[in-house]
Amino acid sequence: MSELFVALTPANLLACFVGTVLGTIVGVLPGLGPAGAMALVLPLTIKLGPTAGLIMLAGIYYGAMYGGSTTSILINVPGEAASVVTTIDGYRLARKGRAGAALAVAAIASFVAGTFSVVALQLAAPMVARAALAFGPAEYFAFALLGLVLLANLTGGSRAKSLAMVLVGVMLSTVGMDPLGGTVRFTFDLAGAQAGLSFVAVTTGLFGVAEVLASMAEPVPAGAVPHVKFRELYPSREELRRSVPPMLRGTVLGFLVGLVPGPSATIASFVSYGVEKKVGKHRAELGTGAIEGVAGPEAANNAAAGGGMIPLLSLGLPFTPSTAVLLSGMMLMSVTPGPFLLRDHPSVFWGVIGSFYVGNVMLLLLNLPLVGVFARVATIPPRYLMPGVLVLCAVAAYSDNNNIFDVWVMVVAGIAGWAMRALDFGPAPLVLGLVLGPVLERSLLQALTIARGEISGLWASGPAAVMLAAAVVAFVAPGVAALVRRTATHRT
Amino acid sequence: MRRERWSAAALALLALAYLLAARRYPLDTLATPGPGIVPLVAGVALLGVAISLFVKTGRVGAPAVSFGPPTSRAGLADPATTHETGVAPIRPTDPTPQRVRRSPIVLAVALVLYAALLPRLGFIASSFALVVIASRLMGASGWWRPAALAAGVAAIGYLLFARWLGVPLP
Repeated sequence: MSELFVALTPANLLACFVGTVLGTIVGVLPGLGPAGAMALVLPLTIKLGPTAGLIMLAGIYYGAMYGGSTTSILINVPGEAASVVTTIDGYRLARKGRAGAALAVAAIASFVAGTFSVVALQLAAPMVARAALAFGPAEYFAFALLGLVLLANLTGGSRAKSLAMVLVGVMLSTVGMDPLGGTVRFTFDLAGAQAGLSFVAVTTGLFGVAEVLASMAEPVPAGAVPHVKFRELYPSREELRRSVPPMLRGTVLGFLVGLVPGPSATIASFVSYGVEKKVGKHRAELGTGAIEGVAGPEAANNAAAGGGMIPLLSLGLPFTPSTAVLLSGMMLMSVTPGPFLLRDHPSVFWGVIGSFYVGNVMLLLLNLPLVGVFARVATIPPRYLMPGVLVLCAVAAYSDNNNIFDVWVMVVAGIAGWAMRALDFGPAPLVLGLVLGPVLERSLLQALTIARGEISGLWASGPAAVMLAAAVVAFVAPGVAALVRRTATHRT
Repeated sequence: MRRERWSAAALALLALAYLLAARRYPLDTLATPGPGIVPLVAGVALLGVAISLFVKTGRVGAPAVSFGPPTSRAGLADPATTHETGVAPIRPTDPTPQRVRRSPIVLAVALVLYAALLPRLGFIASSFALVVIASRLMGASGWWRPAALAAGVAAIGYLLFARWLGVPLP
């Protein structure tokens, strides 16, 4: 536990600072999201070593959640998906002249929720990790499968499309050496393909290059940013009082949603807004510029970001693109996340958790005074920013294996990702299929071998049976619900 | 609607091609499972999903493709905004000129050329060219600014990655 203070060494503080600043900038900029940005700086973080490198990556992840709200409120452009809801009341508050108050409440809500979720993470992650020590291949298979099914259900848009993308991801993960026998598959004798498709190359393509291509056809946000003076940042006592209940509700809701696979931060913010619309004291004002519409969702998306770290740190299974990048960062630094992380690398585990505390304080101190600067970053014309992003993507993809094949993978992934976006296929399920594919394959084959070929071996243990049953229910339920609805409308 | 059907058909074709390529990997037995099992399961499952998508999009009243704002900023689809909150966020509107709409295709071609030329021309020259082309396509005017930007990006990229991090850039 004393390793928590690892985060306070000068090098780690600097890594945390750089990460949170980069994250805030990424959060502010429409286009590049946290997953893409984290993949871009992976080569940099490897140089820093495991603890500092992961602290920097985590800082980007948290900072993006913070920064996303700034442009939502000031110019009605959500920096990333999790702050779309904040535009509803946040921007209307800004037009009423309460931009400063909305920004301050967003920052305070993020801080409260972020801190709560770190405390919960600190308590829960070791417990889950200890329980997970008893997990065998069958349990891992069931959990990964359940995660992917839930992910397809919750990603939004068409479920069949998300499912298709998960499967494409799993298929892409079979390129290269197979996880058990060492058979080389689907390489078509291409040089560099034996190592498989680089996760960094696919991620920089799907979340970097594809965003640049998509942003070219999009309108540029208008240049005028309202100027917010420092002394305008104080919310009134009334506004603060009204923010507290939604903030607390959003925090708890967000953390719980964060434990579920899927784009949890985005979903958490919507759920929180929905709850405020139902139970909030001033619910009638929501949608016209109510402070509750900022406090709740902003707390929820930050708490969810913390909740999402639990499956990663304690089981080694990421269920969001950002935590998947964190996972691949850990792998590159030869740190295997999962039940043994706490035992084998306590300074990494506690150092990263400690950095979340430090990062939250840094973000609060950084964001309030510098809010105007960050808002202006959003109005930098893409023509000066995006070309550089393209080159960074190429370098990040190349440096993963020092291989030109990975640059090709990135270019193809980028063009495919752009087409996917136009056709409403989300890149997140594909990336997670790619990451979890080898986990699924290895655990399935190992479980079958252990059970001497009996398929029932997959659900022989209690936890595995429960998780597989849940996966089946999650797979069937939406179809059944749609069928019931259809018969009901036919009858009326 | 037609685009939806085409994308479903393309997915089905992808699944078939994958299954065809997977035939050479042995399945072996369930007790000693071979490297062909997971590809077979994944390929068949994708084929099934693609067929169901194809059938669904053929039905009358199937939802049309939306070409509005991209599904997300962070790569995650936003849950139906109006449906869940009852309030639509205000979106900036700005007519997109024809030239800008065609430029992503040109940039995509430039990226393919970049990957092809990177090993021949080296990092600095090809990155310089890519940044100039990309910033021109995104609406930068003149040649001085794009060239200065490109020189800056190439130089910083080289110093940061090749010199400091020791990445053996081509």
